[in-house]
Amino acid sequence: MGYRDVAKVGLGGPVGSGKTALVKRLVPELVAEGYEVGVIANDIMTQEDADVFRESFADLLPADLVEGVETGACPHTGIREDPSMNLAAIDEFTERHPELDVVLVESGGDNLAATFNPELADYFLFIISVAEGEDIPRKRGPGVTQADLLVVNKTDLAPHVDADLEVIEADAGEVRGEDPFVFTNCKDGTGVDEVLAHVEREVLFA
Amino acid sequence: MSTDADAFLSALRLSDSFLPVGSYTASYGLEQYINEDRIEDGEDLRALIAAYLRRLVGPCETVAVANAHAASADGDLEGLLAVDERLHAVTMPAEFRESSTKAGAKLCELLLAETDGDEHSSTLAEAIEDGSTPGHYPVVFGVVAQHRGLSRLEACLAHAYSFVTGLLGAAQRLGRFGHTEIQAALEDLQSVIESVCERHLEDDIAAMTSFAPLAEIMGMRHERAGRRLFMS
Repeated sequence: MGYRDVAKVGLGGPVGSGKTALVKRLVPELVAEGYEVGVIANDIMTQEDADVFRESFADLLPADLVEGVETGACPHTGIREDPSMNLAAIDEFTERHPELDVVLVESGGDNLAATFNPELADYFLFIISVAEGEDIPRKRGPGVTQADLLVVNKTDLAPHVDADLEVIEADAGEVRGEDPFVFTNCKDGTGVDEVLAHVEREVLFA
Repeated sequence: MSTDADAFLSALRLSDSFLPVGSYTASYGLEQYINEDRIEDGEDLRALIAAYLRRLVGPCETVAVANAHAASADGDLEGLLAVDERLHAVTMPAEFRESSTKAGAKLCELLLAETDGDEHSSTLAEAIEDGSTPGHYPVVFGVVAQHRGLSRLEACLAHAYSFVTGLLGAAQRLGRFGHTEIQAALEDLQSVIESVCERHLEDDIAAMTSFAPLAEIMGMRHERAGRRLFMS
């Protein structure tokens, strides 16, 4: 057993877009569906995200299926050019838990150019927030254009930050062509079912 | 007099992406190939970079490195300026010239102007600084490599290797290529690097040319590209 034997889903996106919130929403749903899940947080400087996950998932996941990977201040390198330490962490997961079904790999916050190495993530979600500005999809960063699924989070904040969801929807449709995107509000769970349906269909049933 | 260990370490230093000369900002048209969906997979990428080596790096930049190295060894300032002038003339896309001269100026500041200090290299550094010669990267690279004890062939190999790893790194940031796929491409390209450098090592500067029309067109279209992450 090793990293090649388990489904891997990457979650990338800028700082504060809601990656951690989405993982916290997805894990209980996946566990409820009967999947054995592991979680890796690539943090820029500390183990803070991993600690948040360990605490959140204390009743859901064994502690040894939550890992933090320090990336030497280069989160994009850890998920793209050299994913060795992430793959090593997944290898350890699979050694300890041979029945593991899926690992969620959350990147440290980075810019719009962060993409996942295809050997690290079979499927990759890029999460942006409406609060970062309604022009984010229009900027065509590789994360926005290349992700298997674009997630536009924090829709509840749109009226407070002068972001027009119709503009975001039109721009996302234009830059992504046939590729899907989903609006979410991870605070109350809106749209998370749709994200889960994409992940199950494209990764776990594939 | 450099020892072999000095020269070896200098070769590593000059071909390492850790060298702060901004080469990570250059894609030499590769971004446009990817923007236009002309590269589907690792095999396409390997074939494209092999073509860059055979048609552009070898007959153009390798000839510049080799001749700059020889002129530096001879203390031939006129020869160095002639290499720089010729390379400028045969590098067609404006952004290729810009990437090369900007990196050349940085390498000059870092290793030539301050530390290498013999008469012809000081004069070359001044000429680059005051804009009287373009100061292309392969020219400065050839001089620095010669000063630090690399042979002509070693200088050409180190330069071509860093060009290849620069383009592979750019591809990995622009497209979705796995790290083992990228390393497999590098492994395959090593023999191309060797054969291209050996083939063009002795070329005269009058033979310096490039024939890579599609790469050059991609480089030119990149100037007006809607999405640009790279300088070239």
